[in-house]
Amino acid sequence: MSGRKETVLDLAKFVDKGVQVKLTGGRQVTGTLKGYDQLLNLVLDEAVEFLRDSDDPLKTTDQTRSLGLIVCRGTAVMLVSPTDGTDEIANPFLQPDGA
Amino acid sequence: MLPLSLLKTAQGHPMLVELKNGETYNGHLVNCDTWMNIHLREVICTSKDGDRFWRMPECYIRGNTIKYLRVPDEVIDKVQEETNKSRSDRKPPGVGRGRGRGREDGPGGRPAKGIGRGSDDGGGRGMGGGRGRGGPGSKSGGSRGGGRGRG
Amino acid sequence: MYIYVGILLISCKNLNCEEMSGGPGLESLVDQQISVITNDGRNIVGVLKGFDQATNIILDESHERVYSTKEGVQQLVLGLYIIRGDNISIVGEVDEELDSNLDMSKLRAHPLKPIIH
Repeated sequence: MSGRKETVLDLAKFVDKGVQVKLTGGRQVTGTLKGYDQLLNLVLDEAVEFLRDSDDPLKTTDQTRSLGLIVCRGTAVMLVSPTDGTDEIANPFLQPDGA
Repeated sequence: MLPLSLLKTAQGHPMLVELKNGETYNGHLVNCDTWMNIHLREVICTSKDGDRFWRMPECYIRGNTIKYLRVPDEVIDKVQEETNKSRSDRKPPGVGRGRGRGREDGPGGRPAKGIGRGSDDGGGRGMGGGRGRGGPGSKSGGSRGGGRGRG
Repeated sequence: MYIYVGILLISCKNLNCEEMSGGPGLESLVDQQISVITNDGRNIVGVLKGFDQATNIILDESHERVYSTKEGVQQLVLGLYIIRGDNISIVGEVDEELDSNLDMSKLRAHPLKPIIH
């Protein structure tokens, strides 16, 4: 197994910036990225979790709870994206693309 | 052709990725690795039920959460050229077989049958499968194990 | 699941799993039409262009067959797909002659339920 350094994404550019993290199981948090390692363990400051619909735990709601300083375990991290520039939008796919 | 070679070739192309949780991501592939982790740019995320949408400048997706990737048809023609080249480079016939038997010792399940069959397949696979598959295969095996453990 | 596969006329000869390579042993099916049933209960048919030891597969010219008890089988064109091995339940060889003689508009079947872990 060659080194772990060949990460696809260099998280360095996100340090001290807001990131959104989706975790396996459906939790979703945002926070300021303070640190990370090659296993994708993340340190998030002022983290906020988006609470989920109790009927459908796959859906997040606009309700939040504040978590403070947290570590996200790398193995549970599904997705990382910058909060900057991330917005909910109207359906961008017209009729043809039946998503 | 290896799925990961196709994916590698698809760099720079638009693609659709569906995750195991049903969310889909449309974006341009920036980079990928042997674990199928991917980095997309100019992404549109669609919720599982298809009624909410988000745009994000980029995102990183862990390979083991992916269900499938839909890539543009023309990408498969581009990958062909590359593998043909590397195929002629690496055609040592014995390689596939040696590797095969080595692995067999591990599980120890079906040695006798495996070896007989091995020489047959070895030829077909010698076309480049042998070495090419070894590397990424063992890695993704590892990541798969990780996924199960957690689930 | 098995009954369903029977209806699809998939023959599973030649699929002695995990041959010596430790891979899925799909060499003999490359460039042939195959039918894949995924963990979420979809049936995708396409030409197998490649695979690896984790059973990730490349399907070219693929389409999804959507089954329903009320109307015939809908075929959705999908194109070129990489399906992650984690998400694959069944890979079946398609008898292309038999398959092309099927009248999809007359077939009725319950859609498959997804696998629950």
